[in-house]
Amino acid sequence: MFRVSLSFLAVSLLCLGLADIEITTLDPWQELRRIAVGFLTPDVSVLYTFRGAMINTVTFAFCGIAVGVGAGSVLALFFQLTAVRLLCAFVRAIHEIFWAFLFLPVVGLNPMCGVLAIGIPYAGVFAKVYAEILQEADHTPLKGLPAHTGRLSRFFYGVLPVIYSDVKHYTSYRLECALRSSAILGFIGLPTLGFHLETAFREGLYSQTPAMLCGFYLLIASLRLWVKPKLVLAYVAVSFALVSTEINLRWDNITRFLGHDILPWPMRREGFLDGTGEISFPAEQVWEWVVHLVRTEALPGMWNTVVLTQVVLAGSGLFALLLFGTICRHFVSRRRFRGLSHYVLIVLRTTPEYILAYVFLQLWGPSMLPAILAILLHNGAILAYLTGQNANLVRLRIDSSRRKMNCYFFEVLPRVYGQFLAFLFYRWEVMMRESAILGVLGIYTIGFFIDSAIADDKVDKAVFLIFTTALLNMGVDSISQIIRRRLRVSAGTVLGRQQ
Amino acid sequence: MFDLQRVSVAYGAARVLKGISLRIREGEKAVIIGPSGAGKSTLLKKLYELRQAQCAFIHQDYALVAQLSAFHNVYIGRLDQHSTIHNLLNLLKPQKAELSHITPIFRAIGMEEKMFARVSTLSGGQQQRVAVGRAIYRRSSIILGDEPVSAIDPHQAGGLLGLVKSSADTVILAMHDVQLALAAFPRVIGLREGRVFLDLPSEEVGEDTLADLYRRS
Amino acid sequence: MKPLLLPPLLSTLLSALLLPAALPLTCSQDLFAASALRFTAIPDENTARLTERFDKVAAYLSEKTGVDVEYVPVKSYAASVAAFKNDEVQLAWFGGLSGVKARRSVPGSVAIAQGEEDVRFVTYFIANASTGIDEGEDFPDAVKGHTFTFGSKGSTSGRLMPEYFIRQHYGKAPDKVFKRVGFSGDHSKTLALVQSGSYQVGALNYKVWQNEVKAGKVDSTKVRIIWRTPTYPDYNWTIRGDVEKKYGVGFIGKVQKALLDMKDRSLLNSFPRARFIAADNSMYAPIVETGTAIGIIDK
Repeated sequence: MFRVSLSFLAVSLLCLGLADIEITTLDPWQELRRIAVGFLTPDVSVLYTFRGAMINTVTFAFCGIAVGVGAGSVLALFFQLTAVRLLCAFVRAIHEIFWAFLFLPVVGLNPMCGVLAIGIPYAGVFAKVYAEILQEADHTPLKGLPAHTGRLSRFFYGVLPVIYSDVKHYTSYRLECALRSSAILGFIGLPTLGFHLETAFREGLYSQTPAMLCGFYLLIASLRLWVKPKLVLAYVAVSFALVSTEINLRWDNITRFLGHDILPWPMRREGFLDGTGEISFPAEQVWEWVVHLVRTEALPGMWNTVVLTQVVLAGSGLFALLLFGTICRHFVSRRRFRGLSHYVLIVLRTTPEYILAYVFLQLWGPSMLPAILAILLHNGAILAYLTGQNANLVRLRIDSSRRKMNCYFFEVLPRVYGQFLAFLFYRWEVMMRESAILGVLGIYTIGFFIDSAIADDKVDKAVFLIFTTALLNMGVDSISQIIRRRLRVSAGTVLGRQQ
Repeated sequence: MFDLQRVSVAYGAARVLKGISLRIREGEKAVIIGPSGAGKSTLLKKLYELRQAQCAFIHQDYALVAQLSAFHNVYIGRLDQHSTIHNLLNLLKPQKAELSHITPIFRAIGMEEKMFARVSTLSGGQQQRVAVGRAIYRRSSIILGDEPVSAIDPHQAGGLLGLVKSSADTVILAMHDVQLALAAFPRVIGLREGRVFLDLPSEEVGEDTLADLYRRS
Repeated sequence: MKPLLLPPLLSTLLSALLLPAALPLTCSQDLFAASALRFTAIPDENTARLTERFDKVAAYLSEKTGVDVEYVPVKSYAASVAAFKNDEVQLAWFGGLSGVKARRSVPGSVAIAQGEEDVRFVTYFIANASTGIDEGEDFPDAVKGHTFTFGSKGSTSGRLMPEYFIRQHYGKAPDKVFKRVGFSGDHSKTLALVQSGSYQVGALNYKVWQNEVKAGKVDSTKVRIIWRTPTYPDYNWTIRGDVEKKYGVGFIGKVQKALLDMKDRSLLNSFPRARFIAADNSMYAPIVETGTAIGIIDK
């Protein structure tokens, strides 16, 4: 375990050396001052002005979750099939923003694009986690069912009640994630909170941003108060009703997208030039197209993505190891201090890394530094939170050392380290997805090239690059699984699934 | 009803039943006793497999759905007898007909006031009664039970055993409380190391025989 | 006491099963709804200014054509092209490049008008005063090795043309010429970034520059023009060919006339253009050539 940690640390130090982490703005603190002033003079009225975006953020999330839960539960039942597992791993490996990019040319920037962009990857996540829950569920109650009970009755009496609580917890955790996803989809133009947040940041309207961010925190913090199981159905129904008023889906757009736009340009070229729109298959040119794309965009993009990912993997691990103590009763005895750092961690966790990166970019200019910090803070906070919770479960002997250093290194850390590593490797793939996506903000990870392809209206290129990222992610996911199995560490129950 | 001829059962390399021959006629009430590991549970399971459709089984670990109410757990006893729609409706809201059938069972097992309590909130003894109630509600011709009254205090165990005995034509239970078993059942089957060690009317089982059955090897 | 668990349990499951099924049902709505002519515009400036500009234009066009006209704001150049391709909007105020892309994807669509200034559009290269680079007649060779920002990736004046001139001058891609290359997103932001020093050099739409100067947003001690590019054709109004099926033969002519007849100063100033003149697809051939030359447009 120790050796694996050290080698990952070494790799990430190497990557840090390769990464471009320069501060490029002339006066990095000038913008920060303006942001700080903005925070002191928040313009709460925007919450009213942009109430439509607020509502959209919620409705997209609810609809996306409903689609995800619906498709995910069905897929979970067939999760033992390799094809289903691969499909789920694949759709999971593509970030919501990339999905939105894919749907943008088909349905345009309207609610349906947002709902599908959230719903599809979430379906893959739900399928996996629900299948895990099913597998780990207590099967004893099934013995008590009569031998020839029908399938549905068997499920509703013998399975669903047993897994219900786990499913509910995980789904409600995912609702919070869906709200984050929904909000950041605004950054690429969907009518959610991110749309106005981006505008405000871009145009330097710093009094608006804190109000919107606080509105967002309140929304998430208050979920517990207003999202009750009994009301969920009503919320989802209302959300679908609201969303459906603006949907534009045409069959010819779909066929054009699937049958034409996503094919490599050399296949469409001839048909385009002679005006027939027909498809040909010049194998040699297609191969050249692929090689060129891989050499000039896919590889450089992936390289930067991997470099960034490895830096933040070790970074967020160190961050978590440094800070989990602050919410642990063995190190901080004053309840109030623990509570305070608890809140800080929650705020960091709740702020989407995309928004953090955007703010840091404004401050320091485009290099990997803003991205590193954003992903590191967001993930480090989650890891610190989970590890701290675990450390609080550790019971110390009465005669254990009073010195905090000893206590940390000899009593607490050895006990929580295995699970900490499991959490960390669980999030590896997540960090990679985030690294890729931050390219949209102008860092040269794969997201940059995907964003450029979309901007150039080259869907074929975008699709190719998105598929490559998905494969990269799936690769990292399986390496992470292998490492976790080798080290025999497990993230454990629902707590660990908060990826 | 049951006619076993030299039946053996093995889990991997471990042989649990070693050539058991046993005949149990319809309408018989029999109890299986014997030291731990003798193969009582395995024998019961074997019997259950032979006549699944006609059997109700009381599991040693109750096999209840802890998240559902006691009422629903008892209802599970006849899940295969009702249509899926009826089952789902009854899950949503207990149906009148089912209530009228199930309430008397709860009265008989002495848990009327706990009928709608979640099973996870019940004590071990109460959970075992619910498991017994489920077997009774099944109205099958055979009840098989693996330690069905082990968690119930001695004063009430006899009464509950009587209830089980009167609820099906053929009743075969495995029990560890020998005195209770001998008092309640006319036929006693003693298992030892996977073989039938004794198979006698209960009044013929003497102290010496029992001592032999349970002696340490 | 009633069993507590069941209703929420079932409702969650039902919602999961039923609602995705309801989605396709709601999709066909648009078939009935879209009677209004919808138009969009590339988001080249502050959102607030765009909305103000185009709501007025929508009202004007409604009045002149007798058809309901709606402005649909979008966040990116790509989204404006996608919306046009998907027939979500039928009319658009495009840049040179986005117009070319849109017309290539929608056979039958035509450029019908452009600003008088768009015939000879210009990009300004600007630099932060700290670089010490001064304005000159020729391409400012001194920009090499500095940090540089374009506007939006899909912009003609903020990306396509400056990149073209950079490649022409150095014979290399911009990321090989400059220390760092960024995309600010829009022209106003390019100005702000170069003025603040976040980037040392940038390239933007000269009309936006003039507008910002007029609005007092340019601090001439911090940022200055260092080069004005040769001219090229830029912005244009483009309309889908199939609108005549919906609104009757001659509708395209009607919209074109309405645009050319626009006399109201306050409307024109918001673009800002002196007036609109007729345009056609062939006028943008230079943009196609430039686009294919630097690989933004597939050839």
